[in-house]
Amino acid sequence: MAPKTKNGDFPVLNLKKIFFLALSAYVLLIVSFYFLAGDQLHFRRSRGELTMPTAESGAVELTKDVLVEQTFQAKIQRLESIAVAWSAYYRSNTGTVAMELLRQSDGAVLMHADFDAATIAEGQVLSMAAEEPIESVYAEPLVLRVSADSVSGSAVAPFINTQEAREGFSLSVNGAVVPGMLCFSASGTDYIWTGLHYWSFSAALGIALVLLFLIVWLRHRKGKHSYLINALIAMRKYRFLIRQLVARDFKIKYKRSVLGVFWSFLNPLMTMMVQYYVFSTIFKNDIPHFAAYLIIGTVMFNFFSEACGMTLTSILGNASLITKVYMPKYIYPLTRTLSSAVNLSISLLPALIVCLATGVQFQKSAILALYFFAALIVFSLGLGMLLSTSMVFFRDTQFLWNVLNMMWMYATPIFYPETILPDNLKFVLQINPLYYFLKSIRMCILDGVSPEPVVYFQCIMIALGMLLIGAFVFYREQNKFVLYL
Amino acid sequence: MSKTVIEVKDVTMNFHMNLDKILSLKEFVTRKLSGKLAYQDFTALDHVSFSVKKGETLGLIGRNGAGKSTMLKVIAGILKPTKGSVVCHGNVVPMLELGSGFDVDLTGQENIFLNGAILGYDEEFLRGKYDEIVEFSELGQFIEMPIRNYSSGMLARLAFSVASVVQPEILIVDEILAVGDAAFQEKSRKRMMELMGGGTTVLFVSHSIEQIRQMCQRVVWLEFGQIKEIGLTEAVCSAYESS
Repeated sequence: MAPKTKNGDFPVLNLKKIFFLALSAYVLLIVSFYFLAGDQLHFRRSRGELTMPTAESGAVELTKDVLVEQTFQAKIQRLESIAVAWSAYYRSNTGTVAMELLRQSDGAVLMHADFDAATIAEGQVLSMAAEEPIESVYAEPLVLRVSADSVSGSAVAPFINTQEAREGFSLSVNGAVVPGMLCFSASGTDYIWTGLHYWSFSAALGIALVLLFLIVWLRHRKGKHSYLINALIAMRKYRFLIRQLVARDFKIKYKRSVLGVFWSFLNPLMTMMVQYYVFSTIFKNDIPHFAAYLIIGTVMFNFFSEACGMTLTSILGNASLITKVYMPKYIYPLTRTLSSAVNLSISLLPALIVCLATGVQFQKSAILALYFFAALIVFSLGLGMLLSTSMVFFRDTQFLWNVLNMMWMYATPIFYPETILPDNLKFVLQINPLYYFLKSIRMCILDGVSPEPVVYFQCIMIALGMLLIGAFVFYREQNKFVLYL
Repeated sequence: MSKTVIEVKDVTMNFHMNLDKILSLKEFVTRKLSGKLAYQDFTALDHVSFSVKKGETLGLIGRNGAGKSTMLKVIAGILKPTKGSVVCHGNVVPMLELGSGFDVDLTGQENIFLNGAILGYDEEFLRGKYDEIVEFSELGQFIEMPIRNYSSGMLARLAFSVASVVQPEILIVDEILAVGDAAFQEKSRKRMMELMGGGTTVLFVSHSIEQIRQMCQRVVWLEFGQIKEIGLTEAVCSAYESS
């Protein structure tokens, strides 16, 4: 046996090496995240974007001697585009329509675009974009001017909404102020604090890590106890056991089925196909890459419900071990969750295949989905610890959980688009932690963009929060387990 | 010979039992509402203190329900005492039950590693001792077979071989485990004696006073969770037998 000290611990912990590896991993993560996250690290959709009011009526037929001007201001740090809705009076028109954005103070032209009136259909939205995002017009009065060289009878008209009145906005036709607002929208992006300070923030965290390691190392040299060292020793000591237990779960799951590992592979694929058929023929929807959308949701939720279901019985199911052999009790829920994570990684393969088959363009951001999967695993472990504790004392936890699990499934947009929820039910998504994980994973893979940095923070906080609650309850009750088994 | 390796200090073990084991939330809530939730405290160990020195073999005797098994479980770390403390210096191997964690779907080989890991052996040790374990168990080629096909004798042989391969510093034994056919019983008894004799500190529970007399230097006699008598084997055993 490996050399042991008097109290049975392994004395040979190469702390320098461990800390060096941890720091290298940290630097690697920070740098790779910087490149993978791309623009989303620096900018997010501006919260000051202007939404288009509902079109009510055409303002005025836009002939060559009519000038419609909309004064407005937008709290957008980087203004990118302006869009206007048009009415064509259901006829074919001629002439050229011009849209211009000017700064009110000096009349400088910021954006300009011309459109052929003949191509404008009823209700069409035309947008013009700036070549470079315009950065200097935050909350400044701007003028959106629309004009045309058409003649009456074959001219288009911009839509307006006569009821809409916003602070600092005014609409004028040929210089005369009229009530209402032009049907237009303005969009752009804002800088994100984390993007501007990414490197200094990372460096600060890195220095904190180094300091922590130094303190732990000094304490260790003096022979004092510290939680980090104890955790490392435990990790070393129980690594083999955990690996054996996970291997057991894996082997017995597949040993006695003919299709073996392919079950983990086929199961999500078949579930997805049934759901795809149901939701693309019976309930129509317009989600792009719907098959991929479905399988990501299915794989993710399958993992969650399997992990929680297995962890739920981890203490009760191992009663014969717990009453006969000593090992730290957290090993049981931990190994069950890890086993489910192994299954998850197998079922990611069919998800990948479906994504490729339906033509999803993988961007580098797809790698970031792993972060959210990791957060999901941590979350499931926390919840599982809570459930397994409850299961020891109340055996009907299992039935309650089954119901809760089903409710949770319907409360997560796995096979429906989140837009179908009526406004009074939207809060369900807001309070559903799985929604945040799922949405971010889909965003990384299907949309090819990373979520904003704050989402990363939210997700890790949700996951760690759940783990903390679960671990705390588990820790407090674990000595009583053996009495109730 | 003089270093203390197990120190049991004033250990009290209370079981807080509700009278008719309520194990569902539904029942718990209905009972709680109707105020019928009755608890009873049962004291399995009552202020027990003793210590075991290095290399010593200590016997635990007493009638059924005297708290012997509870005492062993507390020392093995499976139960946490309500009051008091137990300090063990060295790795403790509890031989309370053989084959803990055996999985019928796995082969004998896989079970050796699984069971070994559960007993706290590390990987290199198991790899090094693997051949020895297989040889001792006399299972031969059956080791590659799922153990659901094993006879109970084969299972017991495998379990004993894994459990007894280690040279622990503290060994906790609940009855001498002699398993298998007559020949293997003899072999396993010999291995047990070897284990218990080779400088290891042993805690030994048995109902056979004869074995206790043979093996132990000192004996603790437990009755109703308290120490009735503690001392040299001969004195305590004769007092126990005449009671």
